[in-house]
Amino acid sequence: MLVTWKYRERNTIIQKLDPRARIIFMLCMLFSIIQFWDLRLMLLFLAVALGQFILARLTFRETQRAWMLMGGFIAFLTLLAFVTGRGGTGVYTEEHVLFYLPSFTLPLLGRQINFPVTAERIMFGLSQMARMLSISGLAIIIPYTVDPRLYGVAFRGLGLPDKFAYASDLAFRFVPTLGRDFGITLDAQKARGYELERLEGGIVSQIRKLAPLIVPVTISAIVGGEEIADAMDLRAFGVAPRTWLHQLTYQRRDRILIAISVGIFLLSTALSILGWGKFWVPGWLLQMARA
Amino acid sequence: MQNRILNWVLIFAVLIALMLLVNFASGGVLRGVMWAVFVAIAAVIIFIIYFATSANKAWEVGTRQVVYMALGAALYGVFSLVFNAVPMPSVSQVALRPAVVIPIFFGYIFGPVVGFFTGAAGNILGDFLSGWGVYPAWDMGNGLMGFVPGLILLFADKKRSLNTLLIVTIVLLAIFAGLVFANPKVVGPWTGEIEDFSFWAWGAIIAGVLVIAGRFLLERFRLETAAAEVWGALGAIIGIGFASIADIWINGYSLMTAVIGEFMPAAVPNMLNMVILLPILLTAYFAVARRAGR
Repeated sequence: MLVTWKYRERNTIIQKLDPRARIIFMLCMLFSIIQFWDLRLMLLFLAVALGQFILARLTFRETQRAWMLMGGFIAFLTLLAFVTGRGGTGVYTEEHVLFYLPSFTLPLLGRQINFPVTAERIMFGLSQMARMLSISGLAIIIPYTVDPRLYGVAFRGLGLPDKFAYASDLAFRFVPTLGRDFGITLDAQKARGYELERLEGGIVSQIRKLAPLIVPVTISAIVGGEEIADAMDLRAFGVAPRTWLHQLTYQRRDRILIAISVGIFLLSTALSILGWGKFWVPGWLLQMARA
Repeated sequence: MQNRILNWVLIFAVLIALMLLVNFASGGVLRGVMWAVFVAIAAVIIFIIYFATSANKAWEVGTRQVVYMALGAALYGVFSLVFNAVPMPSVSQVALRPAVVIPIFFGYIFGPVVGFFTGAAGNILGDFLSGWGVYPAWDMGNGLMGFVPGLILLFADKKRSLNTLLIVTIVLLAIFAGLVFANPKVVGPWTGEIEDFSFWAWGAIIAGVLVIAGRFLLERFRLETAAAEVWGALGAIIGIGFASIADIWINGYSLMTAVIGEFMPAAVPNMLNMVILLPILLTAYFAVARRAGR
């Protein structure tokens, strides 16, 4: 049995839009965002992403698991960029040191680490955080607001052949299903005294002890997959061009959204070519570094 | 024939789109064009093998393959997310990745197309979910790790040339172990100091012994399981070897840094995982398949 993402029908402007138009909007925004490093522009895109979230009438409580997952990932990358300057090479060439973090020694390796905090690293970290928050903010609402029955027809409508439209649909829908199966298996094994946190013994023994988790999840997924394949075969999947139960038709509002999306992308590209939106460090921060 | 070529073109288009999406979401970590060159090289390798054997049914993409491509990629991604955090005793950050058994298993059972997609797409998904960014050469390497075991479907007789393949696998392992023994001391990636890495050569020898033992012991119970051990080991060597060698050009590593710093820490644990978990998984699968009458 497939588990769907937590979709709920709501009477919102976002859900009235064609999923294809929304995917085009998301892609245009994404390709616009990646052309800039200026925090001020990033905040504009972040506002658009938040606006979309509010218009979808989603609550933080409903989406908190997705936000926590993405938030952890974004916080990790931002911290890494802030401390090590990772990813900043090429975006800025010069660094202005504000202060040094207290030095510490890496456990086991005995290497002393002394990180400088620079104006550029702070701004790069903030820009990267705003950039990733905007992108994830645009994408995170999709599973909550697109009817799962429409994924396949939407991918097909965007030009993917039937087989790959359906494979993409399935891959997207399998992730929560497998997550649930993994959780159930882990709970069942824990009830039998299995402890993933306390894998002991040599490497071979540790690997062998992982089998009670990997084997049941994989085999049950394959058995479920056979049922899905049988159901698809019974409906003559792949024999002839596929028809879809739900048809999508572009409305006026969808065309307007697509036009705006393409417009934003073209404007962003033009601005980027003209040299706008490059990495920005406020003057007062540079002055603090020089002081 | 034309449809099958289109399938491959679409698979690569989907994988490149995924890589670019993850790259954007990770803040743009890809640099230069070498990653694209190695994606192209992987594609050329696959197309050469495909054109040489295109009439074979192993290349078909039907309903089951579509379902298992999606399922395999999702499974590999989810398992990678869970297990990337289980540390292995080593001086560098090497994770115990039991998830590698998934692309090898899916390739061996469902064919090279499913194996390749499972390895490549699953690795992109797993690296992204773990917050590691995107590494196209490693995605292709993981794809090849699932692709190679799938090539067994090109052979009507699974026993044929199994010993030759075993010899090729052992010779390749011996070459890499010999390289490490000949030059065991290189600069440690984390400490910056000269360190002795000869333990990886011993790890490769243990993995080689386990593969040989698996090939002959498991044959007594089921030939398919014994064959899977050999094809899986070859897949791990070729896949990880491809990715490690690519890093000589992508990251500017020396041959020894690529072998000691990347190939050995990734290939040896992968082979150990595969040697232990694959027979268990195959035994469970064959039991279920027999019960279901497939």
